[in-house]
Amino acid sequence: MKIYQNSSEPIYKQIAAQIREQILTGKLKAGEALPSIRGLAQDLKISVITTMKAYEELSAEGLVTASKGRGYYVNAQDERMLKEQHMRQLEKNLTDAIYSARIAGVGLDEVQQTLETLWNMEE
Amino acid sequence: MKKAIEIKGITKEYKDFTLGEVHAEIPCGFATALIGANGAGKTTLIDILCGVTGKTSGEAEYFGSMTDIDDDSLRNRIGYCSSANFFPMDWTLKTIANSMELGFDNFDRARFAELCKRFKLGDPAAKKQKKLMKLSDGNKMRTYLAAVLARDTELLVLDEPASSLDPLARDLLCDMFREYLSERDGERSVLFSTHNIADMEFATDHAIFMAHGQVIEQGFVEDLKQKYILVHGDGMIADKAKPLMLSFTGNKTSFEGIALAENAEMLRTYDTAIETPTLQQLSVGILRKAEENAEK
Repeated sequence: MKIYQNSSEPIYKQIAAQIREQILTGKLKAGEALPSIRGLAQDLKISVITTMKAYEELSAEGLVTASKGRGYYVNAQDERMLKEQHMRQLEKNLTDAIYSARIAGVGLDEVQQTLETLWNMEE
Repeated sequence: MKKAIEIKGITKEYKDFTLGEVHAEIPCGFATALIGANGAGKTTLIDILCGVTGKTSGEAEYFGSMTDIDDDSLRNRIGYCSSANFFPMDWTLKTIANSMELGFDNFDRARFAELCKRFKLGDPAAKKQKKLMKLSDGNKMRTYLAAVLARDTELLVLDEPASSLDPLARDLLCDMFREYLSERDGERSVLFSTHNIADMEFATDHAIFMAHGQVIEQGFVEDLKQKYILVHGDGMIADKAKPLMLSFTGNKTSFEGIALAENAEMLRTYDTAIETPTLQQLSVGILRKAEENAEK
């Protein structure tokens, strides 16, 4: 796992994002245990409360479940939820793109054109 | 949430200083930092919690049920280390090991030797031994830490453990905290005091801020970082921003301070830069606010 300690992105969000990606790409499978909260804090050299907050965020999204006294486990991911997760990521990335467009003074038409060009290039 | 210590209205009256009433919680399973300026009452509170000093009134409840700090079965569960000379100065690693073994049921001699090696202090079994008085302040503190960590405890209470340590040793201290907490996931807790939180930021889960003998703020660090914002701005708009801020320092070029997060939107309309504070920045803001209030 890779953490930027001086980033404006909070550390717990960085951790959550990396574990989320591992779950959504299937690297972490349903039923697998996440590292213990305090073990992960030790490995990453960060506070316990930070890893706990990351796990709580994943739990709130339904990606993992806390099992009392035994840590966190990866949930079975149903397709609908997976899609929802990917949509959320898509929306976030597009919001960033809109932000860049506004700064550059680029209008919606031009953004749509750029998107289309890029879309066709990928295909 | 389980508590390692619940402090219920503890006070201590001195001729020239009053502590409390202190109401605070040390959550179980986490590292709690006691943050404050010199003379804020941190050491007095720690000494009371560890039974070194008596209190005038109030009570502390340990591990959910125990209240008598003079009870050996409670003292055995707590590893306490003061910042003052903790052992007689003519003691050596060997005499420390011998006396700790006599004094505590849960002192592990082999673990002590291992910790001494890790802290680069030498071998407590070696024939030639150095007296504590010959050691630097940093190595004295390392020795105390090795002694306290060699006991199998559930709560560490350390008064200013980092202040005499060099940067590498502070990093090691943070590692030791996380290791201690992780070894018995959720069962162990750490309480330490500091007047310089920057080096301990990534080993602090919960913070209790003290000023003039009072607890002025406490909470989990991640919650505090959501409660407060760090605000920077151009000196031109200082007059507008100031009433919305809790702490404020500035000049005609720029100003900075902390504010409640609920004021973020309003402050943004004044074109201020708003960030999530680090624990260090938060501490400066909270302690500065306490000083400003004291001057009024």
